[in-house]
Amino acid sequence: MQIALVSLSSCLGCQAVFLGMEEYLYAIIGENRISFAPFIMDNREVAPVDLALVEGTVRHAGHFMRAREVREKAERVVALGTCACFGGVQGLADRFAEDTMLRRRFGDAAWEGAPAGVKRLLPLDSFIKVDYFLPGCPPTQDLLRKFLEAALAGAQPQREETTVCAECRVVSPGIPQPGPRRTTEAPPERGKCLMEAGYACMGPLTRDGCGALCPTLMGLPCRGCRGPSDRALLDPHVDMREETVRRLARATDSKAGEVESAVNDPVHAFYMFCLAEPALRRRRPEGSSPFVQRLGER
Amino acid sequence: MAELVIDPITRIGGIAALRIVAEEATPPEACLSAFGYRGFEQIALGAHLDNLLPVVSRICGLDSLFHQLCAAMAVEKALGVEAPSRLRLLRELALHAQLFERHAVSLSVHSLPDLLFPSSDPSLRNLVSIYSVDEEVVRRLLGLKSLGSMVLQEVGGNSVHPVNFRTGGAARDVPGEKRDALRSKLEEARPLLVETSRLIKLLLRRNEEMASRIGNVPAPSLALRGPGQVTMTGERAAVVGPQGDGEQDLSPHDLLGRLRESNSAYSHVRNVSVEGYGETRVGPLSRININGHYGTSLADGELEEVKSQWGFPIHACLVGHVLRILEMVHAWEKMHELLKEPDEGEISLEVKPAAGKGAAVLEAPEGMLIYEVELTGEGLVKDLNLVTPLQFNQRVLETSLAKIAEEVGIEGEPKIMDMLQMAIRAYAPCIPCGLH
Repeated sequence: MQIALVSLSSCLGCQAVFLGMEEYLYAIIGENRISFAPFIMDNREVAPVDLALVEGTVRHAGHFMRAREVREKAERVVALGTCACFGGVQGLADRFAEDTMLRRRFGDAAWEGAPAGVKRLLPLDSFIKVDYFLPGCPPTQDLLRKFLEAALAGAQPQREETTVCAECRVVSPGIPQPGPRRTTEAPPERGKCLMEAGYACMGPLTRDGCGALCPTLMGLPCRGCRGPSDRALLDPHVDMREETVRRLARATDSKAGEVESAVNDPVHAFYMFCLAEPALRRRRPEGSSPFVQRLGER
Repeated sequence: MAELVIDPITRIGGIAALRIVAEEATPPEACLSAFGYRGFEQIALGAHLDNLLPVVSRICGLDSLFHQLCAAMAVEKALGVEAPSRLRLLRELALHAQLFERHAVSLSVHSLPDLLFPSSDPSLRNLVSIYSVDEEVVRRLLGLKSLGSMVLQEVGGNSVHPVNFRTGGAARDVPGEKRDALRSKLEEARPLLVETSRLIKLLLRRNEEMASRIGNVPAPSLALRGPGQVTMTGERAAVVGPQGDGEQDLSPHDLLGRLRESNSAYSHVRNVSVEGYGETRVGPLSRININGHYGTSLADGELEEVKSQWGFPIHACLVGHVLRILEMVHAWEKMHELLKEPDEGEISLEVKPAAGKGAAVLEAPEGMLIYEVELTGEGLVKDLNLVTPLQFNQRVLETSLAKIAEEVGIEGEPKIMDMLQMAIRAYAPCIPCGLH
């Protein structure tokens, strides 16, 4: 089985995880399984492969052409990392129109040979058909290794379906608690539930698989870097902001409006990694939008 | 008119292309282009200072901590708070770990294959081919990467996009037994590091003719100035002319006042020059050209050898590879030293949101990184401006590439593509940072 490692607009964090897999990486390169990886090798055209790992976001025509080329050449395509799966932090730029953003940065500049920008920032599966999704910013080495072991053996990789809370090992601090709070103002107490302690923790809505590193080991609220859980994606009534505000209001014994005015950066606090995800964007109370069709894939 | 296009440039961090145009009777012109501005300065607008670090971290996975901490330090300046000394130590430890890791990746994955197999087919010049010939070399180099990751994992809570640090604090310290364990891991790696350093020096000596010829362009240097030694954090920057002349010390405020940003006609990476000096180089070469010493015994011992071989100040970009391994030796010594310090003292302070403006400068692995932040009274980001190393280096790099094209010629010379890409890799340009 040959693999390709493809970057679109990205931070290269997923590639760093790939390079950090130690013995498993040596096994992959020892068996000469990497056919295309411009980060590592001198190749410019995607070779036919069995599995293509694509990280990053489609931001302009060049990325789109590359994504399409990968789809044609690869038996199976994997959206690697939260940018490719849900838009990631880069997807927050979707708040602004492309030309407005460019004008703010570059004024009236014009470029020779610049590829056309995309109208909206969207996850990879909005551009090409994706077979598997491995979210995480970045996915842990364990997740990536297990995923590759399964995929390269021709098996269906495991898909995490519950939430970070399901993996989290903390106890309730007892409610109500003061808040909503910020970690910069009041450092959290490790071992206590961050949400119940009044922090905007995204654990209840975020996909599991990371081992709840931030809340359990670090005593920090989950920022949602693994992207929305199945329920958050599929239940048409779940909204990241509303759900978190409701939980925080209960934990701090305050009104929803009070929580909303205290968490005064809702885009960053509730949608840091998933603002570009159409399943959440298209959400309507009546439900049944196209994302439901993707249940089997995601 | 002759034209040479390399699209995309391989074995670098990110996607970029090179176009060289040679008109008759004029020197060739090199254009390094990268498109896909990501808008991070605008993405961060409206973020509470508590959410700023995880956002800017995603500018670059390999330099994530440098972005986080530069932003944190700029916010601390804006709020007029000072990080406790233990926190500063933890931050420095983590920065050394990430620099160590970043240089190990750049050397092993991007540059080493060129130095090991300079005359082989480019398709064979990579980690996979090296592994098939000599497994041990790859294991050693990636073993060094893993060593940096391990320290970063402990100190930062995660090796890619660390989570431990926030403005004015850290979630946890490194307990005594972990520090001891890390120190013994570092000690175990000592022979590996020394051997690797020998290997890189040897390879460069073997390719001496090429190293002194390719991309050897005198340029002004810009870096933070330490107390007679290289530093990653600090309040004094210095800029010096190509021959060590016209040296000037600048406060971060003065430096910001002297920076001139301009658009490029063929790239989304904006160029930055220093008023009075023009296009200026940043990174490992400049750090040593400005400071002269690393300030730790092992690294300085090796540096003397490098200076006597390559002269001083150093402008040959391929010598950057040797300086990267020396910076790794230096980071290794610093990590050792910092891990000896007992975990005493506060690591967090309470940060109250307030309006203000602040700037911070850090030496990231490939050069100077600058953050300027303005906050509203509620602690939300009102304005953010950042300057990344590639923005400084782009013009100097292009000048180096044009010089190669002029000397070698872009037509009928089979090695030209190799030589150009070797020079690019010697600058280890970080495209994601440049396109922030």
